Amino acid sequence: MLDFFTIFSKGGLVLWCFQGVRGPASAATAPVNALIRSVLLQERGGNNSFTHEALTLKYKLDNQFELVFVVSGPPWAALVSKCFVFAIDCHAVCSEGLSGRGLLRLGKGRVLREVSSWPRVGDLGLRASLQGFPGATSSPVIFLFPAVTSTVKQALQEALVQILQPQRRVDVLRDVMDAQRHRRPYVVTFCGVNGVGKSTNLAKISFWLIENGFSVLIAACDTFRAGAVEQLRTHTRRLNALHPPESHGGRPMVQLYEKGYGKDAAGIAMEAISYARNQGFDVVLVDTAGRMQDNAPLMTALAKLIAVNAPDLVLFVGEALVGNEAVDQLVKFNKALADHSMAQTPRLIDGIVLTKFDTIDDKVGAAISMTYITSKPIVFVGTGQTYCDLRSLNAKAVVAALMKA
Amino acid sequence: MAGAMEPYLDSLRRELQSPGPAAFSVLLALLVVALTLLLWRLAQGARSSRRAVLLLGLCDAGKTLLFARLLTGKYRDTQTSITDSSAVYRVSNDKGTNVTLIDLPGHESLRLQFLERFKAAARAIVFVVDSVAFQREVKDVAEFLYQVLVDSTVLKNAPALLIACNKQDVTMAKSAKLIQQQLEKELNTLRVTRSAAPTSLDASAAGGPAQLGKKGKDFDFSQLPMKVEFVECSARGSKGEEGDADFEDLEKWLAKIA
Repeated sequence: MLDFFTIFSKGGLVLWCFQGVRGPASAATAPVNALIRSVLLQERGGNNSFTHEALTLKYKLDNQFELVFVVSGPPWAALVSKCFVFAIDCHAVCSEGLSGRGLLRLGKGRVLREVSSWPRVGDLGLRASLQGFPGATSSPVIFLFPAVTSTVKQALQEALVQILQPQRRVDVLRDVMDAQRHRRPYVVTFCGVNGVGKSTNLAKISFWLIENGFSVLIAACDTFRAGAVEQLRTHTRRLNALHPPESHGGRPMVQLYEKGYGKDAAGIAMEAISYARNQGFDVVLVDTAGRMQDNAPLMTALAKLIAVNAPDLVLFVGEALVGNEAVDQLVKFNKALADHSMAQTPRLIDGIVLTKFDTIDDKVGAAISMTYITSKPIVFVGTGQTYCDLRSLNAKAVVAALMKA
Repeated sequence: MAGAMEPYLDSLRRELQSPGPAAFSVLLALLVVALTLLLWRLAQGARSSRRAVLLLGLCDAGKTLLFARLLTGKYRDTQTSITDSSAVYRVSNDKGTNVTLIDLPGHESLRLQFLERFKAAARAIVFVVDSVAFQREVKDVAEFLYQVLVDSTVLKNAPALLIACNKQDVTMAKSAKLIQQQLEKELNTLRVTRSAAPTSLDASAAGGPAQLGKKGKDFDFSQLPMKVEFVECSARGSKGEEGDADFEDLEKWLAKIA
């Protein structure tokens, strides 16, 4: 029999609810809320079913009346919701005739053709952007008949801004202050493939932290690439020249913790963190070696570093030039971190640093792909090679530039 | 020039003296256009006047239930909202004025978009806080409140702000006084960290984020340009689903600002 069937409006009010299993009424809200948050809001409408704990939920949206149908039960249960939607649609078409809203529905084929003809959308991955469409095309048509192009553009813009909006708080300084209060260092780990700008952006972030009065310990855990430690040593020297110890109460604001080449990166990171705790550093920035996502032994080593040291923030550094390759990188990095973690809830990538933003023009499809794959925010954007070239992402500006096709 | 206009003026004079059917239809058309323009102007005026009360807050704060209770008085099951809901609410004062209650979704991906859409029409803002989960969520609550308070439209219009500490029916709920103190402390820290954040990509934003409160002094809600009040309420009510909601202070405030 049907385990569970509910109809609720997109505004949040439950219109009807049926629970086959005897249990507290509130037991049904949690899985449905999880469904809404992970599927509908993250525009992952690819397949119409979602599993939460033991319950498999199937859902259907009706845009005309802004309703959502959720059903759980045997395979034929999904037909129930389809029948409901079909009945409502028939009733609507019969009663309203060819009204503006009907036109919008009938024009779905035209909608798809319009969207696929735009060159820029191909870069984003048409799939990613169109998956959001069932929920997005719900504009009420009043007196005017807006052109299909403008309605689709509006809906696409809203869906893209929604993807780029951070799902959690992005305030590194606030979290550093919290860690300072608990007398422990705030640990940030940078990971990514070769040559994306990890060390350069690490230096920029150190500069920003020092400007705000926090002391930084840089852990040189790139023990493979020749010159990696020297690069960080040069950055440390320059940063200390910009902020000399005399102007900060006699203690150096940046220090480098390194153990040369060839050693185990995870061990160096652990020693650096305990050194920082003893010496009272506020932040530890851990620089790791660049590695390709297909290189299994190196991915295992990175996963071990993160699992053992439990950093507060794991930042994936990706360059804006990367294009669709970003999707593959992020998926494999996240998978490696999840596979090699012993914990119940593995530490995955917490945020993204988008670098070399100045080398492309203003249309950045990579930002959308990366945020969509991980559903984690873009924390910093690197726009050059000097210490001041660090920005934060403005979702509306990026989407506006992208849509200016 | 005057010579060229002569025949037209003549025919106009003749039409005015002995109006034919054509003149009537022209006059009627002009009247219809003038009427449409007048109606359009009135509609614009009605839209631009601020009659909306926005219900903002984090996810699960109880905004949709509060919305349903204010309008119907009955308890309704709710899920996470994905879009806004709006309805006309008759305020319980002697004049019986109407305000438009707008319930906005609290989810992180949607809240700013919907705020953007409705902030210009806001006469007042009710910021709903979950008093039970407040201790855990204080940073997120403060961040959203900060984003609302430094918005340029909100600063310009200065709508009345009410912070409704919801879920007071639960014994573990924090009092409004405590919530106010904690929020002031958190906002004090936030304005430092937010102004120190890296500048936004679209650096055309004039001068960066606005300064909240007075420089040099600890942040206080009385430093804001709008009137801020704190009330305690419970959308569920002490008797649960059968009884009434417990929000007289909220209704009184709505009556006051209408």
